[in-house]
Amino acid sequence: MRRPALLDDPKRELWLAWYATIAFYTLYTVVFFIITRTQPPGKAWYTPTQVVGWFASRHEGLLIGFGLIFILGGLSATSIALITYSIRRMSVSRVFAYSYLIIYAVSAVPGFLFICVAMTVGAFRPGRDPEILRWIYDLGFLSFSGTMGVFLIGSLIWMVAILLDKNRVFPAWFGYLNLCNALTEVVVAPSWIFHTGVFAWNGVIAWWINVVVFGLYTGAFIFLLRNMILREDFGTGPLPDLLPPEGRGRMLAEFMSP
Amino acid sequence: MENGFNKRIFVAWLILVAISLVYLWIDHSATHQGIPTASTVVTVVAICFALIKVRIIMREFMEVRGAPRFLRRLTDYWVVLMAIALFGVYFVGIAVA
Amino acid sequence: MTTTERAVSPVPEQSPSEHVPGGRDIWFFVLFESLAFTAYFCVYLFNRTQHEQVFLLGQSHLLLWLGVLETIVLLTSSWAVASCVQDARAGRYDASKREALLTAGFGALFLVLKVIEWVRLIHAGHTFTSSEFFQYFFFLTVIHCIHLLIGFVVLGVLWYQLSDQKRRSQPTVEICATYWHSVDFFWVLIFALLYVVR
Repeated sequence: MRRPALLDDPKRELWLAWYATIAFYTLYTVVFFIITRTQPPGKAWYTPTQVVGWFASRHEGLLIGFGLIFILGGLSATSIALITYSIRRMSVSRVFAYSYLIIYAVSAVPGFLFICVAMTVGAFRPGRDPEILRWIYDLGFLSFSGTMGVFLIGSLIWMVAILLDKNRVFPAWFGYLNLCNALTEVVVAPSWIFHTGVFAWNGVIAWWINVVVFGLYTGAFIFLLRNMILREDFGTGPLPDLLPPEGRGRMLAEFMSP
Repeated sequence: MENGFNKRIFVAWLILVAISLVYLWIDHSATHQGIPTASTVVTVVAICFALIKVRIIMREFMEVRGAPRFLRRLTDYWVVLMAIALFGVYFVGIAVA
Repeated sequence: MTTTERAVSPVPEQSPSEHVPGGRDIWFFVLFESLAFTAYFCVYLFNRTQHEQVFLLGQSHLLLWLGVLETIVLLTSSWAVASCVQDARAGRYDASKREALLTAGFGALFLVLKVIEWVRLIHAGHTFTSSEFFQYFFFLTVIHCIHLLIGFVVLGVLWYQLSDQKRRSQPTVEICATYWHSVDFFWVLIFALLYVVR
């Protein structure tokens, strides 16, 4: 029986990965912000009693929400794989793609697994000693906000690859946005020192402003990955341009096109 | 210009340096007996001068003067946006304190 | 004219053109970073109004003349790189290479002055954690210096571009200069907010 041509389209696989990326980030947002309410982060200056209250008010959410992450968290691999694929499509050495892949392969651990494990352990036995509970709380949030090395270096690798690339896989402005993202990782570093104030892990500078930059950055690369898949011709050399979109989107698209 | 010396950006630099020196005078006038005191006037003037310098840097050094209209407008809007944000936060903060 | 320079008619500076200096991408970066810095400045200013005395006291330990000197040094480095771009555009590459070196030199001088300032403050007992004012002072000046250090890498790219006839790309020269100017004008704002604002 002859296989239908559609199923042989290699872009189908790329689209699968891209939709999985969307699914992952949606899951992540819903779990962290809505189900578990671990973001925005709990206050860094809480006393042990307040920490007990924090866990108590989130008991079911933490267990269910992070349970979902434990099952489906592997979806995070798709965005990393797509980005690595995009770097391989560039004219730069494959070293960039491999470095990015290796660095981000471990990124899930500080990126969300640590805090998931810490908070589920904290929620597991409500009668735990408050001091120990606060220890777990600190471990969770510091590992989440404070471990920036992976993302800092990873962003820089991607930035350099984009700026050196001759195949126009990504526009230069996104290369520079990687630098902005890398710098936010530096900005969050003081959260290891401060329990209160704007530099604490829940502070206006270390969290709120940072999360806006990170959100914009993530939105940008999801959008650009989509553009890349649309333009992909599976050849070597520069990627073809997208056909000009109709109407209002044109100005923005022209500004954003590589 | 065989020697390439651009008088316009030299003048821009002179103005920028002059404004920087004016800050010394502002500070001197805002410090009573060696103890700095809070002053809305000084704050407003300091921020205004800084934004003027930013605009001069953009127009002359960054060559926005010779750029397409959208960039000239965009950078001007940006300076205005920064002014609104900084002054807005400052005056709201004073009111709330 | 030496053999390494060639006569190229310069782009007329008076008439507006379609030429975005450095291209739209680097301007996206500059404007985006301006927003990020403005957000930090707003947080600083707001907290300043809430804890006036702490901030005034901390600020009194700063040396204004040193801040002014640093500002002038960085403005001069910007002047140098702006001249560098114009000379490169006109084909006067020897001059533009000199100016690129001057830019780096003044940038390095700024860094030296900053480090001296930090060391002096730390020896006097004012550190990142010693008061709310110094939290912001060290945060803003350090994050600015990180931008400056990246600027040195960018100047390296600029030098690399200028030093080889086959490599020269005026757009890249402009991109590097635009980045450097952003480092300069961020400092202009930081200086006004940390050293002068009451």
